[in-house]
Amino acid sequence: MNISLAPEILFYIGKFGVSNAMLWSFVLSLVILIFTFFIRRNLKPVPGRIQAAVEIFFEGAYDFTRSVVGDDRKTKKIFPLVFTLFIFILAANMATFIPGQSALTLQTEDGVVPVFRAIMSDYGLVFLLTIIVVISTQIVAIAINGPFGYVGKYFNVKGIASFFKLAVKGEFKPGLLAQGFLDLFLGLMDVVGEIAKIVSLSFRLFGNMFAGEVLTAVMMFLAPFFVPLPFMFLGILTAVVQAFVFSVLTLIFITMASETQAVE
Amino acid sequence: MELFNALGLNVKTLLAQLINFAVLFFVLYRFGYRPMLKFLDERKEKIEKGITDAEKAQEKLIQMTEDEKNIIKEARKEALVMIEKAKNDAGEKRNDILKKAKEEIGKVIDIEKAKMQIEKAETLKEIKREAAELIIVAMEKVLEARLGDKNDKELIKKIVKDLQ
Repeated sequence: MNISLAPEILFYIGKFGVSNAMLWSFVLSLVILIFTFFIRRNLKPVPGRIQAAVEIFFEGAYDFTRSVVGDDRKTKKIFPLVFTLFIFILAANMATFIPGQSALTLQTEDGVVPVFRAIMSDYGLVFLLTIIVVISTQIVAIAINGPFGYVGKYFNVKGIASFFKLAVKGEFKPGLLAQGFLDLFLGLMDVVGEIAKIVSLSFRLFGNMFAGEVLTAVMMFLAPFFVPLPFMFLGILTAVVQAFVFSVLTLIFITMASETQAVE
Repeated sequence: MELFNALGLNVKTLLAQLINFAVLFFVLYRFGYRPMLKFLDERKEKIEKGITDAEKAQEKLIQMTEDEKNIIKEARKEALVMIEKAKNDAGEKRNDILKKAKEEIGKVIDIEKAKMQIEKAETLKEIKREAAELIIVAMEKVLEARLGDKNDKELIKKIVKDLQ
C-alpha cells in the first residue's frame, strides 16, 4: 500500500507535470460546463424533470444564500462564487464514489501510480480555493471600508493617537493609552486570524477528503468485502458536508466582511 | 519548502488550477447563473401575473354572475308585470266583447220584434179586409135576395165601406 500526501504525477507536458488530481479536476470542470450548457439550452418555461431538479437545487441554494446575506443586491454578487465553490467541491467529492477507480494504475518513471485521486485531496487545489476565498474577502472588506479603514482595522492606532492628542493639550489619561494598546493588539490578532482562516479552511477540507481516501484504501486493503461499506456511507456524508461547510464558511466570511461598517 | 514539496505545492500547478477554476467560474457565471436567475425571475413574474390575472378574472366572473342574477330578477319582474297587464287587458277585452255581443243580440232581438209587430199588424189588416169582403159578399147575397133597390145597394156599399 502506497499513500502519498502529494498528488502523483501522471505525465509531463514539456516540463509541466500533470498530476492525477489536476487531470481529474479539469475533466470534472469540463463535465460541469457541459452539463451547464445542456441545462441552459433546454431551459423551458414548463420544466422537465432534470430541469426541475436543477431548479430546486439552484433556487434552494440561492434562497439559502439570501437568507444569510440578507439583501438581494449583495446576494447576486456573492452567490456565483459560493455556488461555484459548492458544486465544484461537491462534484469533486462525489466523483470519488464512481466505482472501479482504484483499480486503474499507470506505470510511470516514478513507479506505479493510481490514475484517479480524490480531487480535494490535492492540497494545491484546496489551498488555491482558500486563497481565492480569502482574497475575495479582503477585496470586499477594502471595497466596503476604503483602503485606510481597511488598514486601520488591523493596525489600529486611533486610540494611541487620541491619547497623545490629549496629552499635548495637557490632559493626561493613562486609561486611554491602555485602551489604545489593547485596540492595536486586537487588530494585530485579527491579522493572525485572517492567516489562520487560510489554514483552517483549507486543511479542514483537505484533511477530511484525504483521510477519507486513506481510510477507504486501508479498509479495502484489510477487508475488501462489505466492511468498507459503512465507511463509504460515512464518506458520502463527509463529501456533502465538507462541500457545504467550505462554501458556507466562504459565504459567512464575505458577508461579515461586507458588514464591518454596519457593525461598527 | 519541504512541506510544500510534500504537499505537492508548486507555482505552476497552482497557476494551472487557478486558470481552471477561473474559467469554470466565469463560464458558469456568464452562461449558468445569470441566465438561470433571469429565467427564474421572469418565470416568477409570469406566474405572479398569471395569478393576479386569474384573481381578476374570478372577480369579474363573480361580478358577472351577480349582474346576470340581477338581470334575471329584473326580467322576471318585468315578465310578471307584463303577464298581469296582459291578464287585465284580456279581462277587459272579454268584457267588452261580451257587452258588445249582448248589445248586438239585443239589437237583433229588437229588430225581430219590430218585424213581428209589423207582420202581426199586416196579418190583422189582411184578416180584417178578408173578413170585410166575406161579410160584404154574404151581405150582398142576403140583401140581393131581399132588396133590388138601387139606393139600398148604395147604402149597403157605403156601410161596408165604412166598415172597412
